[in-house]
Amino acid sequence: MSALKILIADDHDIVRKGLRMLLEEHPGWEVCGEARSGREAVDKAVQLNPDVTVIDVSMPDLNGLEATSQILKACPKAEILVITHHDSDEVAAAVLDAGARGYVLKSDSDKDLVHAVEALSHHKPFFTARVTEIFLANRGSRVTDPAESVRNRLTMREREILQLLAEGKSAKEAASVLGIAIKTSDTHRTNIMRKLNVHSVAELVRYAVRNNVVEP
Amino acid sequence: MVPRPPIRIMLSDDHPFVRRGLRTILEATNEYEVCGEAGDGEQTLELAMRLSPDILIADISMSAPNGLEVTARLRQSLPHTKVLIVTMHDSEEMLRAAAAVGASGYLLKSDAEELLMVALQSLEEGQSFVSPAFNPDFAKRLFG
Repeated sequence: MSALKILIADDHDIVRKGLRMLLEEHPGWEVCGEARSGREAVDKAVQLNPDVTVIDVSMPDLNGLEATSQILKACPKAEILVITHHDSDEVAAAVLDAGARGYVLKSDSDKDLVHAVEALSHHKPFFTARVTEIFLANRGSRVTDPAESVRNRLTMREREILQLLAEGKSAKEAASVLGIAIKTSDTHRTNIMRKLNVHSVAELVRYAVRNNVVEP
Repeated sequence: MVPRPPIRIMLSDDHPFVRRGLRTILEATNEYEVCGEAGDGEQTLELAMRLSPDILIADISMSAPNGLEVTARLRQSLPHTKVLIVTMHDSEEMLRAAAAVGASGYLLKSDAEELLMVALQSLEEGQSFVSPAFNPDFAKRLFG
């Protein structure tokens, strides 16, 4: 039997190191790559075709949820395990919206991590009891109105640009990160501000923080 | 030469992956021994009192009491245990708070892999340590 290939994406070296140690203790599992940003995670997922990607939510350039959507778009059979320190209803809902089938809090035990990867390797979803509680508590009364969520209001490209702008990049810098024309990036920014009904970059940043697109 | 006994280190962080990462780095040397691990504030206080480690590596964000409250209490009851805060909080307010409660060092999680050894060495030599992302003059005023 060939080894289970796992990709790890987290912007903190120390967390990647810990994850690698925990996962590689398991016979038959191999960490095939590491990424420090959402964008790198998408590139490596496409390039290495891992069986399971373990990905953090809060990462620079492209957050883990957007990266999850993009990885699943490119590789529909990929299994994604989201790990986060956000113990919030909004993030839990966003994880499901992004298409991830596993979600573990960073404060959950290392056994939960192993069980999650195991379940996903058999294409079964995995949620810890704590996460399931969050889902059940919100059944029927989701805190965020789906029509209001970032995902439903903005296109994928617009969400990418929103994160870059909220991280303090200019429309020109965002254009260079994404490899698109400055004019296109400018148009996206105008559209984002119109759709969200915000009138300054400061308001845009506040919106992005409130909706967990970036960390405060 | 008689080998020095290893420095006894206790880890306190609510994220098991972070504890594992720190442990891996420390155990790759012969200088340090991880004498215990705790995942929340209460457990940290209890275990630290029992183990009396040379250095406690503590996160700030933990279920109450948080790492700063733990540090404040341990400075009273275990004055010989030095505390190295390892955190993702990069604000000057948090750095100021850590200095105020008596931490000896403040290491950002983003620097942890690269600078953990440097930070521990500073503490052993009786110096303080602050991640280089902070203004050095500001850090020096706080930690001396």
